[in-house]
Amino acid sequence: MLDKLGRPWVEKYRPKSVKEMAIPQAKVSRHKVALDEELRMFIKNFFIEIHKVNEENKNIRIYNRTVEEKKQKKELRVPPEKSAILLEGPPGVGKTSIVYALANDLNMEVIETNASETRTRDALESKLKETVKSKGIMDFIVQSKDKLILIDEVDGIYGVTDRGAVPAVLDLIENTQFPIIMCSNEYKRNLQPLYNKVKKIEINPLSKDEILKIVKRILKKEQINNLSPKDLDFIIEKNNGDLRGIINDLQGICQGGLEADNSELLSQLYRDSNEEIFSLIRELFQDARTLEQARRITDKSDVDYNFLYKWVNENLPTFIRKNKELKIAYENLSLADEIFGRIRKNQYWSLLPYFYDLFSGGVVLARKYHPENEGFRRIHFPRFTSTGFFSLTVAERSFVDKVKEKYDISEVEIIQNLLPFLKKLTSDSRKLMKLVSDWFDLDAKEKKLLKN
Amino acid sequence: MSEEIPIWRVKYLPQRLSEICGRTELINRLSKVVKERNFPHLLFIGPEGSGKTTIATLFSQEFLGKYFKSNFQKVYADMPLTSEELKQARSDAYVSTSKIGSLAGKKITTPAFIQVKIKPFIELKALGDVPFKILIVKNFEALGSNQQAFRRLMEIYGKNCRMILITTKVSAIIDPIISRCQIFLISPPKYEAFKDEILKIIDQEEIEIEENNIKLLYKITKGKLAYAIDLLQLSSISGGMIDSNILYHNLMDSQTNLVRNLLLICLKGDFLKARDLSRKIQSNYKYSSQEVFSLMLKEMFKLPLSRYARTQIINHIADADFRAVDGMDIDIQISNLLAKLCNFAEIL
Repeated sequence: MLDKLGRPWVEKYRPKSVKEMAIPQAKVSRHKVALDEELRMFIKNFFIEIHKVNEENKNIRIYNRTVEEKKQKKELRVPPEKSAILLEGPPGVGKTSIVYALANDLNMEVIETNASETRTRDALESKLKETVKSKGIMDFIVQSKDKLILIDEVDGIYGVTDRGAVPAVLDLIENTQFPIIMCSNEYKRNLQPLYNKVKKIEINPLSKDEILKIVKRILKKEQINNLSPKDLDFIIEKNNGDLRGIINDLQGICQGGLEADNSELLSQLYRDSNEEIFSLIRELFQDARTLEQARRITDKSDVDYNFLYKWVNENLPTFIRKNKELKIAYENLSLADEIFGRIRKNQYWSLLPYFYDLFSGGVVLARKYHPENEGFRRIHFPRFTSTGFFSLTVAERSFVDKVKEKYDISEVEIIQNLLPFLKKLTSDSRKLMKLVSDWFDLDAKEKKLLKN
Repeated sequence: MSEEIPIWRVKYLPQRLSEICGRTELINRLSKVVKERNFPHLLFIGPEGSGKTTIATLFSQEFLGKYFKSNFQKVYADMPLTSEELKQARSDAYVSTSKIGSLAGKKITTPAFIQVKIKPFIELKALGDVPFKILIVKNFEALGSNQQAFRRLMEIYGKNCRMILITTKVSAIIDPIISRCQIFLISPPKYEAFKDEILKIIDQEEIEIEENNIKLLYKITKGKLAYAIDLLQLSSISGGMIDSNILYHNLMDSQTNLVRNLLLICLKGDFLKARDLSRKIQSNYKYSSQEVFSLMLKEMFKLPLSRYARTQIINHIADADFRAVDGMDIDIQISNLLAKLCNFAEIL
């Protein structure tokens, strides 16, 4: 049920104006702000600022004729926090949409670059820099539209393929003649220089009421009225505030034809959820006998593999009991983990298929002996997360600080030597417990550390 | 002291250089240095718990006298930097273009640890009537390749500040550093001195222990006084005479024993139990995977195993450690090792 032009619904119902939008809640350094107002102000202020700067520069240029003079009096620039802004939030809440809608409202033109293009320094420069610095030839004849630069999916800039992109973007921010808006899903360490310079707006997922308003409007326009409220709730619930995901799912259901059994279709769409992982793990360990089967089981699910292999680790010994099989299974799982680490560190994504096969098939097929009737085996959450070297909890941190005041030894020694000793010392006698905690001046939480 | 200190090892911590248990020759040498008011950079080498840091701190205290607080600093080379410190190091790394000098506008590439923890202290001159400051760097071997940066620092800022480097592994320290330091080998106290110290505590705390049990105490703690005092205090809780049974009973649960238990459980072939124990060890003691593996290696040598079995186990540990370098999830890598050991036990 694509529309006549063949566009997906997400594009078809992309808001033309801010008024049509569900505006997500946003925060600037923990203070709530209205996102549309904030962006409007930002654009308005930028043009005021750039106008001022350009006028000043004209004056400076008149005086600066020789090279020496140019060195003495530099041309002014708009400070980076006023020329660029970063929107950070989960996918599908409308970061890109609000930029386009706002540009439409303000009668501006959007110049967009996103992760689908390679963004090396050269590529970025050729695309953006000229538009940024100069005005087109037509500008002398007709007053053209003002422009707005949108750098979408900034977090998709990778160190390897997009070499030099971050400095290029920084350069752009310093020299721009138009306001820049960047969008990103998550914090990326290699973008730290960017984060330092620009103002960041955090965007929260949409609330259910806002989503319902939009969804009902779409359903009305598409003349769909046989979708039960329960199913609608279900779709909204599982997408967790991702409006784009909801609209895509709705389209998926309607394309499948509503005459068919809704529940089956819906269950196909069921993404990340614990119940699914439970059944998936069970299927994987109990039913899969060949590599193809194991592959099919992992392929059909939408569960994040990042997550799935930790589940496999946790539940491996519940299904595989023989030491010989355990060894083979863990050999494969640990190799998968090593490969995954290399993929993450060096972006060797071509290794991903091995990772996939090793942690699913490689683990499961280690099991040679399948009892006829295995009975019910309980599946566990990944309970244990290794925290890495010396990351202390809050209570431990304050405990360590208090001990250090009285007895000057290293933090490692306190945790590895002194704490176990104190635990033992105070376990048997209340009196000593009181003496120790009084002497170190411990509060209830820190005392709990000793008891545990 | 107005307040009774409930922990003996703190209570009997030596307050002066002369109170250090045993090692009289060393102490005499250091006391002479204090009188001479000058010394080169020092390197203290000795096993864990032999009192290197205590001696170094007390020595600095007596050398600096009343100016101790402003001219003394102790840093731990093995502690990872906090995020704020890293941030500061990053911002310090740029020299502003507005500054005058050859460095203006350049980027300094000093390692973050040295930039944040060492430089601010040693760059400034000593305060008060002392010839120089004293900086103690503990676990110096943990600096690894950053040791190179110390070579120049020791020469350039030697006038401001003398360093006392403390380490347990001299093999991990690069030669240029060793050649710049005077070396002090610090061994645990001899039995006689150890006995005197223990007898002193026994007198004051009014507990009873036989002499051959003091010998036993010396043997099981390998002369580590703090550890021995801990054990003594634990044993004294139950009251009465301290005999070898009580001592062994209290010894049971220390961390190395936990690792040994882990190995034993593995060799019995009980994977589930082993995994639970390894998780407990990891979360309680905050070990990095490397530390767990090296502890296992250490404990493995104490077990009565055949030569063949030992080489096989070393092979497995090395393999797991190697994989953990690149791996994402330490738990998987450790579980892998445990599974291998369990299986290996069955073959044996």
